[in-house]
Amino acid sequence: MSAILEVRDLRTQFDTLDGVVRAVDGVSFDLARGETLGIVGESGCGKSVTALSILRLIPPETGRIAAGSSIRFEGEELTGLSEQEMKRLRGHRISMIFQEPMTSLNPVLTVGTQIAENVTRHLGLPKKAALARAVEMLDLVRIADPGRRVYEYPHQLSGGMRQRVMIAMALSCDPQVLIADEPTTALDVTVQAQILDLMLELKEKTGTAIVLITHDLGVVAETTQRVVVMYAGRKVEEAPVEALFDNPLHPYTRGLMRAIPRLDVEADAAGTRPRLQEIPGLVPLLTRPIIGCAFAARCELATDRCRTTPPPFVDAGGGHIVACWEAKP
Amino acid sequence: MTAYIVRRLFATLPVMAVVALFVFFLLRFAPGDPAAIIAGDDATAESIAAVRAKLGLDRPVVEQFLLWLWGLMQGDMGVSIFSNLPVTRLIAQRLEPTVALTLSTLFVALALAIPAGVLAAWKARKLVDRIVMGFAVLGFAMPVFVLAYILVYIFAVLPMRTDWWPLPGLPVQGYRPIAEGLWPFVESLILPSVALGITYMALIARITRASMLEVLQQDYIRTANAKGLATDRVLLLHALKNAAVPIVTVIGIGIALLISGVVITETVFNIPGLGRLTVDAVLKRDYPIVQGLILVFAAAKVLVNLLIDISYAFLDPRIRY
Ligand SMILES: Nc1ncnc2c1ncn2[C@@H]1O[C@H](COP(=O)(O)OP(=O)(O)OP(=O)(O)O)[C@@H](O)[C@H]1O
Ligand SMILES: [Mg+2]
Repeated sequence: MSAILEVRDLRTQFDTLDGVVRAVDGVSFDLARGETLGIVGESGCGKSVTALSILRLIPPETGRIAAGSSIRFEGEELTGLSEQEMKRLRGHRISMIFQEPMTSLNPVLTVGTQIAENVTRHLGLPKKAALARAVEMLDLVRIADPGRRVYEYPHQLSGGMRQRVMIAMALSCDPQVLIADEPTTALDVTVQAQILDLMLELKEKTGTAIVLITHDLGVVAETTQRVVVMYAGRKVEEAPVEALFDNPLHPYTRGLMRAIPRLDVEADAAGTRPRLQEIPGLVPLLTRPIIGCAFAARCELATDRCRTTPPPFVDAGGGHIVACWEAKP
Repeated sequence: MTAYIVRRLFATLPVMAVVALFVFFLLRFAPGDPAAIIAGDDATAESIAAVRAKLGLDRPVVEQFLLWLWGLMQGDMGVSIFSNLPVTRLIAQRLEPTVALTLSTLFVALALAIPAGVLAAWKARKLVDRIVMGFAVLGFAMPVFVLAYILVYIFAVLPMRTDWWPLPGLPVQGYRPIAEGLWPFVESLILPSVALGITYMALIARITRASMLEVLQQDYIRTANAKGLATDRVLLLHALKNAAVPIVTVIGIGIALLISGVVITETVFNIPGLGRLTVDAVLKRDYPIVQGLILVFAAAKVLVNLLIDISYAFLDPRIRY
């Protein structure tokens, strides 16, 4: 089955007072139809910028997708499309959900209006039919009493409900691809699980492919089929989810795994679980070109070669690839 | 909501009472004596005293105040010291030009300033923005009377004196009631409205830009863009509605500015409205007229404030009363 979304050598840069920030620096991945792909990495590694780049929502005053980057959606190159053509894709064929349900909905418009306008815009439904569709979508994301809720404003809803509204909005035009940028990070744990379950369930129904961005490996393990691990704007490892957890190859991925809180480890007498092991060191500055492996400065295994020559991707078989000189596939 | 409006309307009564009190006593303590003005330059002390007695100005101030207040409650603002005409009638006669001028100024100012501000915010730091903000700074710095005379020169003096001047002439004197036809009416209001509105326009364009710039940074605007909505919908619905509360607040404050500008504008363009009436009455110390006018202006401001407060509830569902 061919990929619905193919990202090749994506480079996105921002002009700042400190120089050019290479927020995404040569990332490639594919998304198959109906697949759930996870993108993980620490804060600031370029996950959100990758997502925004796909929809071409990088603020043009300061940022740009560098020449040579390629984003293909159903075989069509997005980097060359006009803004008008992109507007027809956004919210229709590729949708996005954001991290902050509290601020991502417009406070002065009813949730019904915000869902319906998407439907009107892309499917050409008249107002009334669009509102009916909004009610239907709210019902689908299991908001009780949707006929009344459509007339409510975001401040009348809880965080979890707002994120459901975001999902309803994103799915209202049956998109082929849904990009969810940390959709549950801002929610409390029980609500997180409900929202993730809901997304997966709807995915089964609609066949929408999902790019799930998160820094939570637990979420990745439960929901995705394949995972891309990012570090400092680059992809460092990619694997089917079982392979990644059974056999993480990149020292950075291993570091991330050590940082997962483990529920199966008994709490000690003081009631605390063993402290999470954080990866020592800091993320490199993205304003300077990184020579060699981006992770070298924080890596226990790093050699001189790591610091001078960027590691190529090595194939460990079964779709598991890693960019590391020292990894032993 | 209705309960709120009724409550607010009642709350205006004490405000108006305080205004009435202040107006009355401040005027009495201001220098100048209407009796002396009426009696003329070569009047004797006795003739002035006679005039004062005739006008009732010799009675205790408190008594004068209570009499006036009693009249007010029955809708009677007293009579002009000089013309003996009822103040309510004098004000009613002059109301139309002023209301027309104020409304047309408001309309012109809002119709130009809000789109300009939105455009400037959308194209922030680009050329359009620089041009709009340049005009705004200029407009804000320009005193009404200076601009008024410049306009008179461009649209009246030059078209009359030269034959190479391309711009058409516009009326710069007087006012044509709407009863005389729509175009003469509109034509007579163009220059005064521009002169009066420019400061106001500058103010609103600036606040619109500032408020929009802040809103355009918000997450929900990114969401709107991620839905592929048309730019005008993002700007004019998603952004402007959120930016509206500060804009409306400034519109309200600006109406106070307009009311003081009316006095100057009516004088320059010779419009027989309340502004002119005010100037004439103040110069002659015609207390009843001045008192009546200030009450009318105060009532207008109170009413505008009320309208602004009510509009908040429509603009932002989070505001409840
Ligand atoms: N508009 C911008 N201007 C300048 N730099 C930016 C801009 N947006 C993002 N960056 C930079 O790009 C880098 C990647 O940011 P990004 O938001 O993609 O991180 P992330 O992986 O999503 O992190 P998080 O987990 O915190 O959301 C960061 O260093 C950030 O400072
Ligand atoms: Mg992010």
